[in-house]
Amino acid sequence: MQGQIIVENLAKSYVRRKKGLQYLFQKKEQIPAVKNVSFTIEPGEIFGLLGPNGAGKTTTIKMLSTLLEPTAGRAIINGYDLAERPAKVRETLGTVLTGERSIYWKLTGRENLIYFGTLYGLSRQKAKEGAQQLLDRLELTDRADELVESYSSGMKQRIALGKALIFDPPILLLDEPTVGLDPQSAHKVRELIEEIRDEGRTILLTTHYMQEADRLCDRVAIIDNGEIIALDCPQVLKNKLEEKKLVNLTVNEWRPEIEDSIKGLEPITNIVSNFKEQEGIWELGAHLRNGQKEALPSLLDVLYRNGVQVQSFEVVDPTLEDVFIHLTGKSLRE
Amino acid sequence: MIEKILLVAQKEWKIFRRYPSWIIALFIWPVIFPFTYIFTSKALAGVDGAAVDVFQGISGTDNYTGFIVIGAVLWMWVNFTLWSIGGFLRNEQMRGTLESNWLSPASRMVHLLGASFFFILVNLFVMAIVVLNFSLVFNVEFTGNLLLGSLVYLLTLPTVYGLGMLFASLVVWAKEINAMVFLVRGIFMVFCGMTYPLAVLPDWMRAVSRFIPLTYSIDALRKVFLMEATFADVRGDIMMLLLFSVILVAGGALAFKFTEARVKESGSLGVY
Amino acid sequence: MTWQDYLRAMGSIFLRDFYVFTRYPFNAVFRLIEPVVWLAPVYFMSLGFSVEGQAVGFATYTGTSDFMAFIILGAIISNYISAVFWGIGFSMKIEMDSGVLESNWLTPQPRLVHLLGRTLFNVLITSINCIWVALLAYYLFGFSWGDGIGMAVLTLLPMLIALYGLGFILAGIVLLMREANTLIDTSSYLVSMLAGANFPVTVLPRFLLVISFALPITYGFDAVRGIMLGTKTLLPLATEQLILVLFMVVMTVLGAMVFKVIERYCRRMGTIGYH
Ligand SMILES: Nc1ncnc2c1ncn2[C@@H]1O[C@H](COP(=O)(O)OP(=O)(O)OP(=O)(O)O)[C@@H](O)[C@H]1O
Ligand SMILES: [Mg+2]
Repeated sequence: MQGQIIVENLAKSYVRRKKGLQYLFQKKEQIPAVKNVSFTIEPGEIFGLLGPNGAGKTTTIKMLSTLLEPTAGRAIINGYDLAERPAKVRETLGTVLTGERSIYWKLTGRENLIYFGTLYGLSRQKAKEGAQQLLDRLELTDRADELVESYSSGMKQRIALGKALIFDPPILLLDEPTVGLDPQSAHKVRELIEEIRDEGRTILLTTHYMQEADRLCDRVAIIDNGEIIALDCPQVLKNKLEEKKLVNLTVNEWRPEIEDSIKGLEPITNIVSNFKEQEGIWELGAHLRNGQKEALPSLLDVLYRNGVQVQSFEVVDPTLEDVFIHLTGKSLRE
Repeated sequence: MIEKILLVAQKEWKIFRRYPSWIIALFIWPVIFPFTYIFTSKALAGVDGAAVDVFQGISGTDNYTGFIVIGAVLWMWVNFTLWSIGGFLRNEQMRGTLESNWLSPASRMVHLLGASFFFILVNLFVMAIVVLNFSLVFNVEFTGNLLLGSLVYLLTLPTVYGLGMLFASLVVWAKEINAMVFLVRGIFMVFCGMTYPLAVLPDWMRAVSRFIPLTYSIDALRKVFLMEATFADVRGDIMMLLLFSVILVAGGALAFKFTEARVKESGSLGVY
Repeated sequence: MTWQDYLRAMGSIFLRDFYVFTRYPFNAVFRLIEPVVWLAPVYFMSLGFSVEGQAVGFATYTGTSDFMAFIILGAIISNYISAVFWGIGFSMKIEMDSGVLESNWLTPQPRLVHLLGRTLFNVLITSINCIWVALLAYYLFGFSWGDGIGMAVLTLLPMLIALYGLGFILAGIVLLMREANTLIDTSSYLVSMLAGANFPVTVLPRFLLVISFALPITYGFDAVRGIMLGTKTLLPLATEQLILVLFMVVMTVLGAMVFKVIERYCRRMGTIGYH
């Protein structure tokens, strides 16, 4: 179906070998990066793959965009089988990979767009018109004829998006579209992504920013160690946690044995810590089983008995980050 | 200071070992590069050396292979220096560490000297291999006063590395090392007499070649190793090399200081 | 995608290379004076062996004392060799390092279109260079295109196509080794040298001569010189031409196959853009 992505049991293992002479003799080592991933993305949806570094997000995107050959499984994109009709798949897929260098720095923004437009099968005339429209839309018209090397990261990212949009594809694959951008540029890119969706395109994006997934995505698949561990609308995922209250604290010191004794408390399901170097404080996040507020005194009691000073304390609603913590016991950013 | 230079040289060696393609660049190239010219000269000399007399009349030696090997070895030295020393700052610039390194207290000059020291050792080694290869495998004869030859070599050193330093600063500004190396080494190749006796050049070209220090080194080494020259025979060349040493080392150091000052002042020269 | 799309894509790739070329001004200037740099050392060398402008020793090997014509023909052909080698291998390495290679391969164009496309501009620059070298040679040395030009071009055409096949293999190797400079420099230099770009291969010592005779390109150099300068060829002209045609057939098939296999291997290993 137009604009639809069906992924069935897709898997990828990398073969890792040492360099040099050992190359010849060493046994190949299979390293699974993506394990039997399945999902279906409906037309007009923004679908997010949320996961920490090394989770297998880029690997998934590269398999779907035909740059990598899957080890197992299959995918149907826009009605074409990935393995059988790779050229047809590429014709309908606008892909933006991570990195500022996916476009030519020694060409201008406009030249980049026209170049990629014609490579996607547009006539030169069409590509020129399309490029102008896109430049207007990306708010790059006044810089369009400067070399890309003089652009800021945000502008480069917008040209990279433009490159994927110029041939009007029904589906876009975006690998970490806002990574490395300042908040303002990231905001701009997110707005653009929503606009693109509103035009009826299907978008698969990866991210490791949970707010981004939360705000932007209609549905989110949380991926860790190459496996999808949860898949639903962000709201539903959070609702499942709803009966669990969350406590955020900042404290002046932290030791593993304190963490252990808190984990030993029956009403606490999870606790994660994160050291803020500049301020010299620790941020803690604790999940309370079934939202048992009675657990709070015992939590504070442990801290008090260990001589930890609590500097702030709040009970909050869960975010996607908390969903991730709940599922894996670890924090997204590391 | 000496200690620091040695430390840097050691560091360069460690980096160097990680790139196997350098092995080819260093040990295969110097051996195969002179071949084209040697075989061409063999064709020009004719069956049974029919035209060797002509060559001897113009150049003063019948050992045309040795003649070319000396020219080629010295030219390759300059080529190697342009890439390595010339690219030294540019590589840092591309990596984005130029500014931070330059702003650190350790003098960049010490760094460059350390790197140069390392590359001098490498180059000596390569020269030895090439000369051995041609004298043992291809029976090219080198006779003459080794001491005098070493003197010429020692005087060539500062000219080559002074040029390298000058070049290093230039590249930081021009940002196109490939083209710059091609250009400079091309000029040397055309004018310095790498493959031919200077006598065959038209007057205006010979005038240009007088401004290239390598011309004198090649000329002197050929006289020493192929024509058994004495100190008196190469005195003119040696004086010119001395002069060039002073000019190029001073020029190189000045250009380096100037670039350093600009980096410190503006904080950046841009990357690409 | 139709063949018009492919042609248009190649046109775009050509334009892209042209724009990028103009953005490295030093390099652009250098490419134009390059021919002088490779001709001067051998020209002056020949003067060292010449009596009144006649390379007398050279004539004893080749039957012609017109050394410069011999060299210029050789240089022109070897320039095309390196244009194809560099055009395919080196530009691919640059793009692989920067990440645009993946962007290109995300487009629906077949890999072949990308490979062919990226040589076009190089071949054009080479042609311009050759024309101006020929003009220079005409004014300086009285070198002129003889009657054999048409025949010479016809003879070389299959060789040029065969070189593309070789270029594909090289592209595969670049993908695999992620290294290009030394590889291409060394291979194109060695091939040109051993095939006789600068001298009659008969001057080579026996063990190198064997390699030389095994390289079909040798017969390309030899045949063209036989046609245009009347030098004695290694084999009968017709035989040499036949070898070149066979070379073309074998190399194009082999090149396409090898590249395909390596490209698939890289797709499986994920080594195209992974650092
Ligand atoms: N070509 C390769 N060869 C071997 N291992 C690889 C290769 N590419 C990726 N990997 C490994 O596969 C795993 C998944 O990598 P992937 O790039 O898909 O993660 P990711 O989710 O995109 O992470 P990030 O957020 O850092 O971009 C990692 O452990 C990575 O080291
Ligand atoms: Mg990634």
